[in-house]
Amino acid sequence: MGTAKSRQQTGTLVQGTLDMLILKTLTRGPSHGYAIALSIQSVSEEILRVEEGSLYPALHRLELEGWIDSEWGLSENNRRAKFYKMTALGRKQLRAESENWSRIARAIALVME
Amino acid sequence: MIIRFLKKVRALLFHRRQLEQDLEDELLFHLQMKSEAVRGGSAEARRSFGNPTAFEEVLRDMWTFASLESWWKDLRYAVRSLAAAPGFSVVAIAAIGLGIGADTAMFTIIKGAFSWDLGLDHVDRIVSILTADAATHASDLGSSYPDFRDFRNQAKSLEGIAAYQFEPANVSDSKRLPERFWCARISSNGFRVSEQKPVLGRDFVDSDEAPGATPVVVLSHRVWLERYGQDPAILGKVVRVDEIPRVIIAVMPPNRRFPEDTDLWTPLPASEKRDDRRLMMFARVPANGNLATVRAEADTISRSLAAQYPGTNKGLSASIRPIAEITGAYAIRPVFAILFTAVGFVLLIACADVANMLLARGVGRTREMSIRVAIGAGKARILRQLLIESVVLSAAGGVLGGFLAVGGLRWFDAGTAALAAKPSWMHLTLDREAFWYLAGISIFTGILFGLAPALRLAGTSVQAAMKDGGHGTTGGGRVSMRLANGLVVFQMILCIVLLAGAGLMIRSASKLYTTPIGVNPANVLTARVNLPTAKYREPADLIEFQRSAKAKLEALPGVGSEAAASNPPLGRWETFDGELQSDAVARRIDGIVATSNYFPLFEVKPALGRIFTDDEAAVVVNESFAAKYWTNEVPIGKHLRLLKDHAPQEWLTVTGVIPDILQDARNQLSRHALVYLPFAQLPQRQMVILARTRVPPSTLAQAARAEIQKIDQNLPLYEVRPLENRIDEGRLSTKLFGAMCTVFAGIALALAAIGLYAVIAHSVSMRSQEIGLRMAMGGTGADILRLVFTQGMRPLLIGLLIGVPLALLAMRALTSALAGVSPGDPLTFVLVVLVLAVAGALGCAIPAIRATRVDPAVALRTD
Repeated sequence: MGTAKSRQQTGTLVQGTLDMLILKTLTRGPSHGYAIALSIQSVSEEILRVEEGSLYPALHRLELEGWIDSEWGLSENNRRAKFYKMTALGRKQLRAESENWSRIARAIALVME
Repeated sequence: MIIRFLKKVRALLFHRRQLEQDLEDELLFHLQMKSEAVRGGSAEARRSFGNPTAFEEVLRDMWTFASLESWWKDLRYAVRSLAAAPGFSVVAIAAIGLGIGADTAMFTIIKGAFSWDLGLDHVDRIVSILTADAATHASDLGSSYPDFRDFRNQAKSLEGIAAYQFEPANVSDSKRLPERFWCARISSNGFRVSEQKPVLGRDFVDSDEAPGATPVVVLSHRVWLERYGQDPAILGKVVRVDEIPRVIIAVMPPNRRFPEDTDLWTPLPASEKRDDRRLMMFARVPANGNLATVRAEADTISRSLAAQYPGTNKGLSASIRPIAEITGAYAIRPVFAILFTAVGFVLLIACADVANMLLARGVGRTREMSIRVAIGAGKARILRQLLIESVVLSAAGGVLGGFLAVGGLRWFDAGTAALAAKPSWMHLTLDREAFWYLAGISIFTGILFGLAPALRLAGTSVQAAMKDGGHGTTGGGRVSMRLANGLVVFQMILCIVLLAGAGLMIRSASKLYTTPIGVNPANVLTARVNLPTAKYREPADLIEFQRSAKAKLEALPGVGSEAAASNPPLGRWETFDGELQSDAVARRIDGIVATSNYFPLFEVKPALGRIFTDDEAAVVVNESFAAKYWTNEVPIGKHLRLLKDHAPQEWLTVTGVIPDILQDARNQLSRHALVYLPFAQLPQRQMVILARTRVPPSTLAQAARAEIQKIDQNLPLYEVRPLENRIDEGRLSTKLFGAMCTVFAGIALALAAIGLYAVIAHSVSMRSQEIGLRMAMGGTGADILRLVFTQGMRPLLIGLLIGVPLALLAMRALTSALAGVSPGDPLTFVLVVLVLAVAGALGCAIPAIRATRVDPAVALRTD
């Protein structure tokens, strides 16, 4: 984790959580990069903004790890686009990461109360 | 991890083109989608998106082995830039190749000499027990059988003590020609103490030693293979060893020839003579034992023996050393260590050479480097690029060196082929270990000579270099020059040490070859015989054999006369107990037993008196003997006698004095006080037969063998060869050592001269403007020559000032390898200085002459 060579900071995103968010988004079905970014943005009520500089390195890293797979297809407006989809390994990884995340979130909440 | 690797490989192999396109398409798609969605359209989208090219590069690096590829690129660049300067590359590769080749060959030789295998599993636990004599300071004497028995019975700190006596033995059987082998008469526990087991048959048992037991013999694997063709039914067969029929009870495994290069083993006969110290004792130290305990106990035993038997054991103590130290190549290890140091020097000189060339080349490359820095190459990246370049150079040198090493080993092999008993370790090949060594030093030298020039060049500042027009006459150039001069001084120092060593070795060798031996060795055939006790019981039998040998050999066409002696010239001497009538003190007398025609055969004329006749109770002494014992007295008519088991023998009269004949095999130029005793008075079993021939002696070898077979068909005649061969062999180490030193020093000298040349040539080209200016201002050719020579001679002089005292100090290490030359031999050192000065002058001459041809107009216009 955290080996991304991204030169930009995710800003409001907690380090390392982007992978988890991408994986979670892909559980709803295959999607291209632009749609993934949009989806994270809208689901988070515009709080989380995913910048391209972090998104694509993360996607490619996840693909190299074998957690997601890619396929070229046609987008909703008939353009050639690269679609990412979940793999079995990715599902396992997501489970581990979300467990870890809820543990930490609970711990932070406890401290902040 | 594996998935990532496989995906990368797949992407590289099958989708390389596709990858670029995909990355571009993916980002482009995103950008299009975004420009449609955001207010402000494509401009705003592009602004927030960042630089797509840089972005693409990040992603591409993720999919490729980016760092590996950049190494590959650097490598290709290095090869290209070296190929662009072929002159430089060829000289650099040749220099490094010579250094690496010599070093690798020497490494292989050293490895052989140092790892010579005694064929023991726990060689570190086997110690030898030698006898030291306080009276004579000798510490390498053997032991007597009674002493061995007492040690064996009394020592508790050792797991077993065994003893052996190593001697030649004649082996014969009805089917094959008799042969002479090396036989170890060994105590029956010998194999158990050294932890060896036969591969066939049984170990010795104690009853094999008992008087009246069936005589037995154990064969080495080599004898079984070579003489008996691995006969599976060999056990139980009978073979005659020194005329005693012995039953073969075992064959040892291959390469197990302990205690020395043994061919066969027979049980050790007991003896009650406490002063007959011909046995070598060895013992096994327990796994948890230590040498201090063993030594303390051995001292106690030695002291009690000395108290009990003062007549034979007074002043004797035990000297305990690891067995590896007293056998094999141990004695010549220091010589090889010196040679290894010498080749190390050669390699260092070669490295300094290439470093200098790289420095010179680097100054011309400052512009290239500053451009690379300007377009964003980091210092580390440039350093890496330059080091890759030098490792490419040294690797090419390594390949060349590999070939040279193989050639060098062949040469060594051919040079030692003359050795009659060439030790097994001397059969050398470039094996895997040597290959890794070669590869290792290839890379190491590349970094060694490349680092300083690379650091200099990588430190280039952009502004300085650009302003300077790439000529490097600014600070950087001056620092480079200082470094280069320092390297030349360093080369000179190493070169002086090497030249001095080679010079001394050459002087030794020429002393050896030009000092008269005292005999005429040309056209003399020599051969050894060893008459076994079983067949030749009485002294009369020995005399009879010698008489028939003389008759048979002298009847051969081509043979002039025959003589016999216990030792040939340069073949040492025998030692007897005896006394001189003049002082009646029992002493050790060194002498040679010879037939009377030994002297006429060698054209030796007495300096005083006459040679004894064969039946006379007389002796001849050499001049050293006369000078040692009868200074200012007439030796003729003096008497001396031998003591046999303390019993005085007949008085012998000195009939003549002969000039010294060189006899010392090791220290060949040393003279030794010797007595020549008539063979008829003291017949010997082991003799050297000498025949003066009218034809080349080697052509008579077969005929001589056949004649001896006619007298005794079971008696092998061995080491049949010309005396000159035999003498050459004794000088082989000096000759070989001298030749190796000379080759190394020659290479070193050439490399050092090239180094000086490179530096001067470079400095001249750097200063061409200055030289042009001087010429324009009226400087003559002689002025310019002086200018360049002064510059070249400075590092040479500094090198001499440091190098000569250093060499004087270092040459002390050579003392033992020198013959008739002192390590500080003034002539040698004067010659070394001269040779170096000439080489240095040659190195300076070409650039100096070139400097005088500088055309001021051209030089001043340049840039």
